[in-house]
Amino acid sequence: MIELWVIITGLLVGITCGMAGVFLILRKMSMIADAISHTVLFGIVMAFIITQTLNGFWMLLGAAVAGILTAYLVQLLHSSGIQQDAAIGVVFTTLFAAGVLLITLFASHVHLDVEHILMGEIAFVPWDKWTFFAITMPKAVWILLLVLLINIGFLLLFFKEMKLATFDSLYAASIGVPILFLHYGFMTSISFTTVAAFDSVGAILVVAMLIGPAATANLISKSIKQMFLFSMLYGGAAAIIGYYLAKFWDTSIAGMMATAVGLLFIMTLCAQKFMDYKRKALVSKLEGV
Amino acid sequence: MVMKRFLGVMVLMMLLFGCSAENSATEKKEGVVVATTGHIADVIKEIGGDHLTVSALMGPGVDPHLYKATQSDLSKLENAEVIFYNGLQLEGQMLDIFDQMSKDKTVLAVGDRLDKAKLLDSEDEGLLHDPHIWFNIDLWKQVVDAVTKTLVAEYPAFKDDFKANEKTYLEKLDELQAYAKKRISEVPDKQRILVTAHDAFNYFGESQGFEVRGLQGLSTEAEYGVKDVQEMVDFLVDNKIKAIFVESSVSDKAMKAVIEGAKQKGHEVAIGGELFSDAMGAEGTEEGTYVGMYQHNIDTIVDALK
Repeated sequence: MIELWVIITGLLVGITCGMAGVFLILRKMSMIADAISHTVLFGIVMAFIITQTLNGFWMLLGAAVAGILTAYLVQLLHSSGIQQDAAIGVVFTTLFAAGVLLITLFASHVHLDVEHILMGEIAFVPWDKWTFFAITMPKAVWILLLVLLINIGFLLLFFKEMKLATFDSLYAASIGVPILFLHYGFMTSISFTTVAAFDSVGAILVVAMLIGPAATANLISKSIKQMFLFSMLYGGAAAIIGYYLAKFWDTSIAGMMATAVGLLFIMTLCAQKFMDYKRKALVSKLEGV
Repeated sequence: MVMKRFLGVMVLMMLLFGCSAENSATEKKEGVVVATTGHIADVIKEIGGDHLTVSALMGPGVDPHLYKATQSDLSKLENAEVIFYNGLQLEGQMLDIFDQMSKDKTVLAVGDRLDKAKLLDSEDEGLLHDPHIWFNIDLWKQVVDAVTKTLVAEYPAFKDDFKANEKTYLEKLDELQAYAKKRISEVPDKQRILVTAHDAFNYFGESQGFEVRGLQGLSTEAEYGVKDVQEMVDFLVDNKIKAIFVESSVSDKAMKAVIEGAKQKGHEVAIGGELFSDAMGAEGTEEGTYVGMYQHNIDTIVDALK
């Protein structure tokens, strides 16, 4: 049962992040999760300075606010004409530096680091339980299920609009799609997803799962719906494969799941190149005849 | 077509890694006990003798602040009948789960059983105590007492053995304290200043009569500033300190900068050696036990400063 809960948590992270990652990749914003994993430091330091406690709820709230702030600042810089990647880079280094500075100034004698206070560990998930409606499940599973539902809801409501806004924002704007509203809504859901998942399973796994499965799916998908499907499948598969790799070598579970994401990407890339090569060989052979 | 390719990749992965590890049958003794740090695990081994199977989650050389769980920690925690941890916020990320687990099994934070008056505050943050309690031998004896009481309550059948082991171990600790005192008397009073990379040695300083200076604060994310390095250099030069120490679980880059700085002011400082701060030495070696670790630290410090 213990192992099963860990695998279920991994699956949920893989599926949720796989889903959330698709539009991130298509909008060339995949590094936003990595940025958020650093800027949350600013959030928890601010939360500490204001409340003077290390209480988990305030820390989480601070982190969530910092995540949303990151996404908004990036968008603000981007819409004033700065490239997307440069905007992410500038915002995340500035907020991270501000966090380090604030610790040194106001909290140098408290054990305040992101790893300790915010980041969860997937191996400990089975023991931290919550009971709702007479069902007892690990807290992480509850939270991730909620996040997954919110993400599915957002997609069902705005799928068509998001697609238009992503691929042809000018056209979308001209027919009255509220692009800004969609963007900020999407970024809020991404920050929410990232911070909640950080709290459950830690940063490495979340960043890997947000980028890897969607990037892999992008290699082989012919449509955006297909991309969603494959991204979720790859995310889930990486979780299961990673768990058994970790069991085999007795290493960090989150680390091996992230490694499995990378392995799947490389194998898919190789398989795709190989198919391309064979198809080209066939075409030239036919042309020869 | 695409689906086939996806399935192909999956099957290939399964073939590569499908073979799962065999469960090694562990020798079943009477009790299964897990501790977080090597220090506490060592105490349990001394008290439990042959009656207990003891394992530590954090292995040799692992900084508790940077500890990452491995897959086998799952079954260690699940199979444990009793769990001991340091407490005082040392295992920050695990506190919630220990709280939850205490509903089903005995879980003890040894730090909570100590005389609060003897604990050091984490400098100006009054709420939190310094967690590095193992460097004060008197406090460590209280830990031994708390561990023994808990084990006796859990496994009453072995009460006599546990009590006898406790007595022997406490004597060993007294010998250790006497040894430390004797060695430290070789160092002139004015030279009893211990300079290390991070703030782990405050209990050591308090109980053994050293002034302790750390370059880095308690948090690993608070970087040392240029001013910290400057002040440290001036401190070394003013007090004519002979040697400073690096730690087994912290990078020594900053200490090298300090030594370089002192050299430019015409004062030679040596690296006195490596101290065990948050972790102990490799299992099976002398430094892999609490007593051996403490002796190593005392010898290293005294030999460099006398």
